[in-house]
Parts: sequence; structure tokens; C-alpha cells
Amino acid sequence: MIWNETKECMSREEINKLQSARLKKMVDRVYHNVEFYRKKMQQMGVEPGDINGIEDLNKLPFTTKNDLRDNYPFQLFAVPQSEIVRVHASSGTTGKATVVGYTRKDIEVWQECVARVLAMDGVGPLDKIQIAYGYGLFTGGLGLHYGAENLGATVIPMSTGNTQKLITMMLDFEATAIACTPSYLLHIAETIQEAGQVDNIKLKVAICGAEPWTENMRKEIEAKLHIKAYDIYGLSEIMGPGVAADCEYHKGLHVYEDHFIPEIINPETLEPCKEGEVGELVFTTITKEALPLFRYRTRDLTSITYDKCECGRTLARISRFKGRSDDMLIIRGVNVFPSQVEAALLEVSETSPHYLLIVDRINNLDVLEVQVEVEERFFSDEIKKLESLTKKIAHVLQSAIGLSVKVTLVEPKTIQRSEGKAKRVIDKRKLI
Amino acid sequence: MIKQLSVFVQNEIGSLAGVTTVLKDNNINLKAIASFDTPEFAILRIVVDQPEKAKKFLSESGFAVKMTEAVAVELEDKPGALDGMLHVIAEAKLGVNYIYSIVLRSGKAPLMIINTDDLARTAKVLREKRYSVAEQEDLES
Repeated sequence: MIWNETKECMSREEINKLQSARLKKMVDRVYHNVEFYRKKMQQMGVEPGDINGIEDLNKLPFTTKNDLRDNYPFQLFAVPQSEIVRVHASSGTTGKATVVGYTRKDIEVWQECVARVLAMDGVGPLDKIQIAYGYGLFTGGLGLHYGAENLGATVIPMSTGNTQKLITMMLDFEATAIACTPSYLLHIAETIQEAGQVDNIKLKVAICGAEPWTENMRKEIEAKLHIKAYDIYGLSEIMGPGVAADCEYHKGLHVYEDHFIPEIINPETLEPCKEGEVGELVFTTITKEALPLFRYRTRDLTSITYDKCECGRTLARISRFKGRSDDMLIIRGVNVFPSQVEAALLEVSETSPHYLLIVDRINNLDVLEVQVEVEERFFSDEIKKLESLTKKIAHVLQSAIGLSVKVTLVEPKTIQRSEGKAKRVIDKRKLI
Repeated sequence: MIKQLSVFVQNEIGSLAGVTTVLKDNNINLKAIASFDTPEFAILRIVVDQPEKAKKFLSESGFAVKMTEAVAVELEDKPGALDGMLHVIAEAKLGVNYIYSIVLRSGKAPLMIINTDDLARTAKVLREKRYSVAEQEDLES
């Protein structure tokens, strides 16, 4: 079902007109309310009057995750604090979180977008949906929760962490939909299979996101549980889950262009890519009140098409992600930068700065192993001391990145040293 | 008191051989060897005839090595000998962290190598009970 046909099926001309009008209004508001952008525009010699429509988008400055960090926590907010009704945060690259804020209207837009996704993927008021993303500072749980309530579905706010309880309630409540990360859903699927309960569940649809996954994983989930699985995309900086999602044709993710203008740029030259060409996805928000962003560089690599979809929607579609233009890893839905691990290791005085991250997927759950070299000057000949060192490192890393970590001590000088950029990550998951 | 080398080794095929190759190539004679493993790594403890030299070569080869002292006690080759010695240590309220042995000593009595939290007192209580505690020179042949 199409939740908002007026907005999801506009002609390209209507979309451009709406985007242009909204962009112009937003630029004016941001220029007068956000010092960071005013200064940037002044440096570039751009005034709000220079932006007359989406054809002028490339006159605006880019925004990066670093800009959000430099303006921690609230300096990019464009409204007085009294209008902020909620904040979310994700882990930053050096320990400081990236903080995002929402006005009441922002929350309304968000729940509208998520309702569109759910309706597109066959969820309606008669459905009972288990939200099995983490609730809290992470946008996954509350984002899906509000969207599903807006749609009128019965929300079962599971959060994460108790698979047995989730399955019991899935059976007892006859849940028909679930929203969680794809790797967690595969884990749930296998647990249901092992319990011989596949024929007893009433599940028909899954909305999966917050981490990259492949077409094969989607097919595997569908085959294991006899359901339909859909891809939902988002990032907290822009809003949270629901910025884009795919329909039953699985031919790219529809971007809600009445709220976000997507661009694809070459990450090296920063020049726009042609339609269909792979580059970095960039978003400009055009309705956000609390945290409007110009040309936010997502670092996600994808391509875009403006062709009308077989489902009837005219919204631009972005293809399945091809990777990242930085070294960020997404592990169990959590964003992890190798530099965070490095900064945390430096806090532990008994380790060397040589480390290797090994990401693997074991039983469909992402596992992060950090190998750390044992330096001779810190080496104790007592196993209990080495074990307590391992525990200490694991604890420091866990509080820094918000993920449980398996720490392995390795012999000195066994982690590869390379000239230039060190190889810090081995990702054994086959996601792309 | 004797000198013992502890070497950090990963729990991997060939990792012990990596250590013994360094010793062989530098003509160092192993007197005793013991390895205590955890799932991921092991600490290899060795007693050699030239500990300083062995430490230097192993460190240069990239191993994390620590030289520590240990108490080495001569035991008679008869039933109950180890039991008697361990009771002396226990009665002195000393905990044994680990223990291993040198059996072959060309005609001399076998040695037990013991680590406790207080090596000096361990040697002292054993000597008081007339145990023979070896020194490093006794191993350099």
C-alpha cells in the first residue's frame, strides 16, 4: 500500500519544484540561526539569495561527521532548546558521541517516513510488529516504534538481547512483522528452526536495516522463515531509519525526496556523478527543524536512478550499498571506526599501538576480535596477570565503542607493519 | 635460586618450535621446559645453561621474554619425596604458582623448579628442612 500517494508518486517536475521551495526556505533559516553554516557560506561568498532552487545546491558547503563532532553537542541546532523534544546519539570517532536533535515536527516527519516504509512493505493496522532494535540513544528502536504506532500497528517493543523471550512472544502474540538487523534476524531464524517452530509462527514480513547486507542474506531469511524481507536505510544525522527503503520489487531503495535531497558525488573530486554511476551518497535535509544539514557526506557508496519504479512510486532510488568511502565498520548495527579502537588502546598503558580488528560473522552474529601485541616490557610471566590484562583491554574497548569485544594477545611484531596506511581491519563477513 | 625464562607464545602450530630453533641456532642447552596453556596463548618456561644469552637472542628474534628467578630443589628419587617438600611449603603458608622438573642431571638428583609469591622465603624454609636448593652455577655445565 502507498501511505502518502501525493508525496510518493509526484512527477519529477513536482518533486523538483517542492524541493526547490523547501531548500530556499531552509537555507535562509539556517543562515540566520546556525553560526557554523553562516560562517562557512560567508567564507565561500554565498548568500541565501544565491540559492534559488535545487540547481544551486552545489553552491552550498558539504557537512561531515567531523563537523558534527566539532560542534558537540548542540551547536548545530537551528532552534532554541525549548523546541527540542528529543536527542539521539551515536558513538563518535574519538569517544565523543555524535548528537542529533528533533523538534516535535521532526518527530512527526520521522514517524511519517517510517509509516510509509511499513505500509510499502505490507504492514498495516491489523499487524503486530516486534521492534527488536535497541531502544535508547540509538535511533533504531524508537524510530521504528513511533513509525509503527503512527501506522496504527500493534507495537511490541522487544528491544534486543533476549532471543528466547522474543520467540516466545512471537508465538504467543502471533506477531506478523518484525524490525531488526538482518544478522539478528538470521540468528532468530536459526533459533526458531532448531526449536522446530517454523510452521507455528505467524510472521509474514521483516523490515531489516542498520547494517549492510546482501541480496543472498535477504533470500536466506525469506527461505528460512517463509516471509518477505525488506531493506530500510537511514542515519541518525539525517533522521534515523526511514530515509529510504525498498519495495516488493527490490530494485533499489526509495528516498523520501520531499524531506531529503540525495546527491551522488565522487568522493575524491567532490564533483557530482552521473545517474547510475557509483559514488558517495550525500543528503541535504529540507524539512528538518532542529538539525538541518547541508550536503551531509554519508560515506556510503551507491548509485541513483530517477526512473519510475514498477510499484508506481516516482521517488529516486538508491542501489544496494557498495561499501564505504571511509574505514567505518558497522558491527551489529553499531558504527565502529578503527581510530576509536586505537584511541581506547592508548588509554591502556600496558599495550602497544599495534592492533588488528577482525570482524567475522559466526552463527549469523557479528563478532569483533581485537588482536593486541604483547610487548616485552609489559609481559608478565603469570597467566593470571595476562588474563586480567586481556579483561582490562576488553572492558576499555567495550566502553569506548559500545560493543563486546574478544581480545586476543599475540606475539610481538606479528601484526603486519605496512608502509603508508596500516592494515588495521580484516572483515571476513561477505557483505558486498 | 636459578634463572628461568618465560616466553609468550601464541597457541599456534609451530610456535614452540620457533623458540627452540633460536636456542639450537645459538648452541644453548635446554635443561627444563614447561608450557602452560590457555585457549589463546601459552607461557613457555625454560631453564637453560646460558640464560642471559638465551634471553638476548630470543628478544632479538621478536619474542616477549622475561627472566625471573625460581627455586630449584634437589629431591631424592623415591616415593614421597615431592610430597614431603610440598608439605614444607604448605606449612609455611606459601602457595605454589607452578612447578616443573629437571630429571636428567648426569648422575645428580632430579630438581623440582617451583614458583611461589615469595621465592626467598620458600628457599629459606626448604633449607631449614635440609633440602638442597640449587643455584644457577649448578646448571651451567
